[in-house]
Amino acid sequence: MTYELLEPIFIISTALIAIGLYGVMSKKNILKIILSLGLLDTGVNILIVAMGYIPGGTAPIENGNYSLYMDPVPQALVLTAIVIGVSVTALALAVAMGYYKKTGTIELDKEGVMKW
Amino acid sequence: MRKYVAIIISALIFIVLAHFFITGNAPINYLTGGKYTNPITHEQANQSVPQQYLNDSRKDTGAPNVVTAIVVEYRGFDTLGEVTVLFTAATGLALLIEEYRRKMEEIVEPNFIVKIASIVVLPFIVIVGTYIFIHGHLTPGGGFPGGAVIASGFLLLLLVHTTKGLPEKKLSITESFAGMTYALIGLLGLVLANEFLQNYLPLGIFGTVFSAGIIPLIYIAIGFKVGSELGGILHNLKGVHEE
Amino acid sequence: MVSIPPVLLIAFPLFFAFLAPLINMVSKKAVKPYTLFVLLLNTLFASIIFLNVSSGGVIYEQLSGFYPPIGILLSVGYLGAILALLINLLSPIVYISYFGDAKNSVKFSMLYMLVTASSTGIVITGDLFNMFVFFEITAVGSYGLVASMRTKKAFEGAFKYIVLGSVGSAFILLGIATIYGYLKTLNFYDIALRISSMPPTARLMAFIFLIIGIGVEAEIFPLNGWVPDAYEGSSHRVASFLSLGPSKAGIYAIARLLFTLIPIMGGFELALLLGLLTLIIGELAALKQKEIKRMLAYSSIGQMGLILVAFSMDSRMAFVAAIFLMISHAMAKSLLFLGTRNYTVGSLKNPFVSVPIFIGVLSIIGMPPFPGFWGKWYLMVDMASQGFWTIILLVILAAIVEAVYYARFLFKGTGTEKSEGISKSEMTAIVILALLLVLVGLFPQYIYAPAVNAASSFLGGGP
Repeated sequence: MTYELLEPIFIISTALIAIGLYGVMSKKNILKIILSLGLLDTGVNILIVAMGYIPGGTAPIENGNYSLYMDPVPQALVLTAIVIGVSVTALALAVAMGYYKKTGTIELDKEGVMKW
Repeated sequence: MRKYVAIIISALIFIVLAHFFITGNAPINYLTGGKYTNPITHEQANQSVPQQYLNDSRKDTGAPNVVTAIVVEYRGFDTLGEVTVLFTAATGLALLIEEYRRKMEEIVEPNFIVKIASIVVLPFIVIVGTYIFIHGHLTPGGGFPGGAVIASGFLLLLLVHTTKGLPEKKLSITESFAGMTYALIGLLGLVLANEFLQNYLPLGIFGTVFSAGIIPLIYIAIGFKVGSELGGILHNLKGVHEE
Repeated sequence: MVSIPPVLLIAFPLFFAFLAPLINMVSKKAVKPYTLFVLLLNTLFASIIFLNVSSGGVIYEQLSGFYPPIGILLSVGYLGAILALLINLLSPIVYISYFGDAKNSVKFSMLYMLVTASSTGIVITGDLFNMFVFFEITAVGSYGLVASMRTKKAFEGAFKYIVLGSVGSAFILLGIATIYGYLKTLNFYDIALRISSMPPTARLMAFIFLIIGIGVEAEIFPLNGWVPDAYEGSSHRVASFLSLGPSKAGIYAIARLLFTLIPIMGGFELALLLGLLTLIIGELAALKQKEIKRMLAYSSIGQMGLILVAFSMDSRMAFVAAIFLMISHAMAKSLLFLGTRNYTVGSLKNPFVSVPIFIGVLSIIGMPPFPGFWGKWYLMVDMASQGFWTIILLVILAAIVEAVYYARFLFKGTGTEKSEGISKSEMTAIVILALLLVLVGLFPQYIYAPAVNAASSFLGGGP
C-alpha cells in the first residue's frame, strides 16, 4: 500500500488553509475573520495528523493484536495545537466583545486587517 | 478589488501548498531512518524517534497509550507550556471583560424540560469527564478532553440558571492550586530524581488505573485546571446579572 | 560558583503566576511587590546562568529524564544567555514604572510574568516544537496586554495582532510539519545534523514557512502590519515591555533558524532581502507619522530590519554588531516609549526626563558612545570589508532618515494632548535605563567578549 490515500487529505487540508487565508484577507466582519482563523487552524491540524500516517497502522495504544501503529508524535503535537487554537479563539472573542461595546458594530474600518 | 486580490493570493497559496505536500511526500522508509544524535553524549541511535517511542513507552513510562506517554512524559515540558497558554488566555479574557460584567440586557427564561433534564444529566457529565481524565494513560483522552467535558457541564448550568454566574472565586482557587500542583510535580522531579518532570513514582502494574508513575497525577491536575479555566472563560463571556 | 538548572528560569515564574490570584485574595496591595520580587528572582537566576555560560560554555539540560531526540532539551548558548539576561534585567525595570499607577490589576501582573518567562523560554530552548509553544504563550499574553487599555484603538490593534499572530502560528506549524515529515525529529541539533538529507525544495519551503511565521513576533516583513496599531493602542508601558521582550526573542529565533537550523542556498540572501525591505519601509513610514507612538513603532520595525540585515551578513563582526543593536534597541526603545508619553518641549526643563530621552535618541540614531553606535560601526566595518557598498549606502540613508524624524520630534514635541506629567516611578525606570545605556556604551568590551563567543558558536552551527 502506498500514500495514495493521503492525496485527497492533503488537498482538503490545503484548501481549508487557502479558504481561511482568503477570509482573513477579504472580510471586514470580526466574527467572520475569527471563523476563518478556525478554518485555517483546522486545515493545519489535519495536515499534521496526516503526516503521521503509516499504511496499515492502528491507533498508538498498546494492544497485543496489532504490531503496526500510526506515528504517535503528530497526534501529540496536534493536541497541543488544538488547545492553543481554542485559547486564541477565546481571546479573539473577548476582543470582539470589547470592540462591539466601544463602537456598536463588529465591522472593522474600511481597510480591514490588511491595512499596512 | 480587495476581494479579487485575496482570491488570487489564496488560490496561489492553495496550488503551491497542495503541489508541495502531494509531490514532496514524506519518505516511506521511516521505520529505519537516519542516525539520531544526542548532543550531550554524542551517542547515536539508529531507530527513528517515533519508533523508539512505540518500542520503549511500556518500559519507560508504563502507559499503554503512547500518545499520552509522549504528551505527559517524553515531551511533558510542552504540555506545561500548553496549560500555560490556556491559563494565559483565560487571564487575558478576564482582564478584558472585567469592566462589562454587570450588564445583561435580555434574559430568556429556559424551558421547564431543560431545567429538569439538566439536574438528571449534570452528574453524568461530571462522571464522564472525571473518568476520561483519570484513565488518560489507558484510553484515548486525558486531561484536556476530560476538563472540556466537565466545562460543558458548567455551560449547561449557565444556560439553565440565566441570572446566576458560576462561583468564580472557587474556580479561580481550584485553577491556581491545580496549576501549582503541576509545577510542583515537575519541580519535585528535579529534587527527587535528576530532572524536571522526571518520573519518581513506581510504574505499577501495566494497564491498571494506578500505574504509570506521575502520569495520572498530572492528568488529574490538568483535568481540574482545564475544567475550572474553561468554566471561568464561559462565566466571563456570559456576564452576570445582578440587581 | 553555584550552578542552577536553566529550567528554573521558566518553572519558577510559571509557579508564581499560578499563585498570584491567591496572593491577590489575601492582600491586593501585595501584588505589585510580589511581582517585582518574582521578576528580580529571575534576574538573579539569569545573571548566574550568564556567568556560568561565559565561564563554562554552553549549558545543556535534558528534561523528563530522556536523552534529547526523545525528550526535550534546553540549551543555553552564549547568545541565549545574553538575551535571557537582557530580557530578565529590563523587565523588572520597566515593571517599576507601574508602581505609581492607581490601577491595580493582578491579571495584568500575571500576564507580565508569563510573557517574561516565555520570552526567556524561546531563547533557551533546544527544541523546535517547544519554541513554538513558547511563541504562543508570548503571543497570547501580548494580545491581552495590548488590549488591556480597553479603548477602541486598543481593541483594534489587539485584534489585528491576534489575526496576524494566528496566521503566523499556522505557518510555523506548517514548517514544523514539513520538517517532521521528512526528518521525524524536532530537536535542533538533530535537525541540523541531518538537514542535508532533506530535498532542497522541502528545505526552502520549510524555511519560508518558519521565517514568515516567526516574523510576526520579530516584526519582520511581510506579516508585521500589526505593529503600529498595536503599539498605538496599548499603553506606553506595554509598548515599552513589548519592545524589550517578545521582539528580541523573535529575532533570536530567526537567527537560530538562519545559522543552525536551515543553512540553505539562498537562505541568507532571502533574509537580507526581507531585512532591507523591513528597514526601508519602516523608516520611510516613520518619517510620515505625526503621532509619537506610531512613529516609535515604525522606527522599531526599521531597527528590527537592520538587525536582520546584520544577521544575514553571515560573518563574525556583523553578528557582534547585531547583538549590540539588539541591546541598544531593547534599552533605548523601552526608555523612549516610557519617557515620551506626553513629551512637550516644556518638559525638557526636568533634567531627569530630558537627559534620558536624549540619550535614548542618540543611541537609536547611532551616535558615540552609546551601544547603537557600536552596533552600526561594527556593521559598517564588516560590510565595507565584504564590499557591500550599496547596502552600506542604504543603511546610512536609513540612519539619516531616522535622525531627521527624531530631531523633528525633539524640537517640536508631540504637544497634542495636555501634559499629565511623569510619575516618580516612571522617572526612576527611565533614569535606570539611561544609566544602563551609558554603561554599555562606555564599556563595550564586557559585551564584546561574550558576543564574539556567541558569533563563533553560531557560525559554527552551535546554539
